[in-house]
Amino acid sequence: MKLKNILSLIPALSMFFGFAWADTVKVGFNVPLTGFAAADGESALNGAKLAVKQANATGGINGKQIELVIYDDQASPKEAVPIANRLIEKDGVKVAVSGSYSGSTRAAAGVFQAAGIPYISAFAIHPGITQAGKYIFRTSFMGDVQGRAGALLIGQTMQRKRVVVITLKNDFGKSLAAGFKAEAANFGIEIINEYEYSIRDRQFGSIVAKVRADKPDAIYASGYFFTAGPLVNQLRSGGVAVPVIGQEGYDSEQFIKIAGAASEGVIITTSLDRDSNSPETRSFITEYEKLTGNKVDMVAASGHTALNVVVTALRKAGTRNPEAIRNAIAQTQLTAATGHISFNALGEVRKNVQVQIVRNGDWHYHSEIRDQTLLAPPES
Amino acid sequence: MGYEISLLTFMGISIIGSLSLNLITGFCGQVSLGHVAFVGIGAYTASILTKADTPFFVALLAGMLLAGSFGVMVGLASLRVRHDFLAITTMGVNFVFLGVVRQQEWLGGELGVSSIPDPGLGKLGFLALVLGCVILVALLSLQIRRSWMGYVFEAVSGDEDTARMLGLDVSRYKLIAFALGTALAGLSGGLYAHHVRFIFPDSFAFVESITLLAMVVIGGNGSILGVIVASALLSVLPQWFQFIGDYKLLLYGSLLFIVMRFSPGGLAGLAKNIFPKSKKAFALKGNQ
Amino acid sequence: MLYLELFLQGLLQGSIYALIAVGLTLVYGLLRILHVAHAGLYTLGGYFGVLVYNSSGSLMLSGVVAMFGVGILGVIIYRLCYEAILDQPPFVPLIASIGLFIAMEELYRILFGSYGISYANPPLQQMLPLGGMYLREGEWVTILVSIILIGGLAWLSSHTRLGLAWRATVTDPQMAESFGIDPIRVRYFNFFIGSALAGTAGMIVGILNNLVEPTMGSVPSYKALAIIVLGGLGSVRGTLVAALALGVVESFGTIYLGNVLNRDAIAFVFLILVLMVRPQGMFRGI
Repeated sequence: MKLKNILSLIPALSMFFGFAWADTVKVGFNVPLTGFAAADGESALNGAKLAVKQANATGGINGKQIELVIYDDQASPKEAVPIANRLIEKDGVKVAVSGSYSGSTRAAAGVFQAAGIPYISAFAIHPGITQAGKYIFRTSFMGDVQGRAGALLIGQTMQRKRVVVITLKNDFGKSLAAGFKAEAANFGIEIINEYEYSIRDRQFGSIVAKVRADKPDAIYASGYFFTAGPLVNQLRSGGVAVPVIGQEGYDSEQFIKIAGAASEGVIITTSLDRDSNSPETRSFITEYEKLTGNKVDMVAASGHTALNVVVTALRKAGTRNPEAIRNAIAQTQLTAATGHISFNALGEVRKNVQVQIVRNGDWHYHSEIRDQTLLAPPES
Repeated sequence: MGYEISLLTFMGISIIGSLSLNLITGFCGQVSLGHVAFVGIGAYTASILTKADTPFFVALLAGMLLAGSFGVMVGLASLRVRHDFLAITTMGVNFVFLGVVRQQEWLGGELGVSSIPDPGLGKLGFLALVLGCVILVALLSLQIRRSWMGYVFEAVSGDEDTARMLGLDVSRYKLIAFALGTALAGLSGGLYAHHVRFIFPDSFAFVESITLLAMVVIGGNGSILGVIVASALLSVLPQWFQFIGDYKLLLYGSLLFIVMRFSPGGLAGLAKNIFPKSKKAFALKGNQ
Repeated sequence: MLYLELFLQGLLQGSIYALIAVGLTLVYGLLRILHVAHAGLYTLGGYFGVLVYNSSGSLMLSGVVAMFGVGILGVIIYRLCYEAILDQPPFVPLIASIGLFIAMEELYRILFGSYGISYANPPLQQMLPLGGMYLREGEWVTILVSIILIGGLAWLSSHTRLGLAWRATVTDPQMAESFGIDPIRVRYFNFFIGSALAGTAGMIVGILNNLVEPTMGSVPSYKALAIIVLGGLGSVRGTLVAALALGVVESFGTIYLGNVLNRDAIAFVFLILVLMVRPQGMFRGI
């Protein structure tokens, strides 16, 4: 009896002292769970947890279970740097994923690169992240790339030529706008005006009034569901009826809830095709809803995809050697929930852009952009 | 060790930041709600310079100078507006600083400055530098407190009009407090930028100013030791609180509130209440 | 026409600012506290509104709950949090208030979820173009409610015993007390009115945005401070003018200066300029 008690203490003790006795493979995960970015953090974490659950159910990594080591970074660079150090040294992870925003991901990337530990950004879009070095990868589109896709969508697919750009003033919105403006002229688009708003803004009355006076053919508006929802709602009830084109920041059921009927017909470029027949996407969509009770969104899909890339690489390379894991990630050829994934020399993802449209209160397939020359991320 | 080193480095940088604010708010009684703007000026100046191959220490110094010069400008404003008006004006300075930086493409705009060069001191060397600066700033604070200047600061902090009537050159000393405090904030900014090696506008958001002010007030406004202890604690609290997960910020906010509610003199006041006799040990007391 | 519309949009935004800032200036005028947690009460008004409406479907009921619920909570906050530290230097209640605000935001997130809550059947969203002005019903209601509430407040303070007691206490607390006015009751009343206004503003904004988020109060938390300083700290009339002026400046600024400075920065450049010319705010002593 006594012996049994003592024996049962051992796993607890080993966890306490951080021994690798419990035979698991640790994967680091920094994510904002408190503070202003907590909503996206929650989705990213749920996506990642689902991927881990699925991988463990199918045998883990060569028989070992995967364990996510999760730290809350509040989306702050100041918190992310010690966390990165902690993951590397205290937890001894050989690979890590960021489910966080650009600031914290960019700061942590430097630490992981210096330590030679591979690190994947699930949805942070700052161009400097992968430039930190060869150990850093990104499974989501860069802002520039998606901006170019938006130009093609509006100018070529939809044949709209007079466009107003409404830009969210942060790294996400700014790089989207940069990509869009760079390609606009090539698709015959004339940008009649650009307005900027900050991430805290929810009241867009003056912008709506001015856009109505501008009389554009289409509106290219960057934002997240919590800014885009009120924006689209106010545009529509303010009498602006032209198509609104957004991006993956909109990609959440929350957007439809907030914008209500005004969300009908909104088109976005994103990485998740909800009408896809691919088993990877279908199983992600159904199991995510089963696990969380929420509908899927882009951030969850990104967290899921990044973890799947890690799992695939670990299965191929084993779990101890960061260099081998890094090389396995670099050679990734994987069909994930967000489509077929491979990386270029810089560690930027190559995949097709999905175009989704809101029909009957849900996201649906609109088209797909496959032009890999247009979508090519930078190589350095 | 890297984890402890990086925590200690952040701790040191926070202490420099809050001690620099303590000069202005604690010693001289001028509440500033925008101190992180000067941290930001130091950080941007130093990192732009080291990226242009300026030696690290020269860049640090330049950051301090520029932050200090802007500080004098805000000091001039403090001659015109007072008390709560000044507090809100300095808050405005924070927002205007952010607004301007966000628009400057040469400062990286929203994307900030990445790949800031490593000063080449090694992790331990950098920590030693930061701790050295902490000691210097603490000694400087102590020296000021004991000097004639400290006496004038205290008089200004107590009652500006009386100080003026006593024939003290209030304006001059206010400007000195702002110049010194903001230059040291610039120092902490330069160090921050070269530790994280990535800065962007949100690194210097208003909430960071609040954090600095909270460190000063929780420590005990004006108390050097108290401010050091409070900044050390508050800067690592979010890391220690990792295990309580979801309730981390809730606890942090509640702590700020509870300390102020039940010990308005901050940690220094608390210590004085617990050990009323050993006044010597808390000779670095605040101006309660 | 466009200018007129931008002006109206500015007034709309300004009247929301006014509802929030008037409460803050009442608190400041009486107690000299910079009550940042006021913005937390504003957020709570948003939650009360959306939660009650989604479960009852009655706009009236949710309005009443948002107003009175938040008003009462404001009194409780005063009683438990501020009363004991009134004689401290001003930064003590300020930091206490900020701590309280952070804790409130986090509590909302933990209780109501990080994604925020939307109205199931958003009320007052129909467009109602009056006189060529494109505003939604909700926006007309906002302007109307602001006028009624703030007008009512003005009437209350000049035509009722309570109002007289209140004004007397603001002007000279000792004198008022010697005339038999209970200063504690006046303070309770003060916090009740101020918080009820903030709660109403929160509910209105929740409807206009069709979104109530834990961080909804972050902008008002500092912008309302700027407004009451601009208005001369403690002057209700000054606060009203400052709120409307800021709304209009921001409305035009977003369109014509948006590429130079963002909304917040425009507001604070305006504030700093005014304070440099008039260090006591626009309306000291009116």
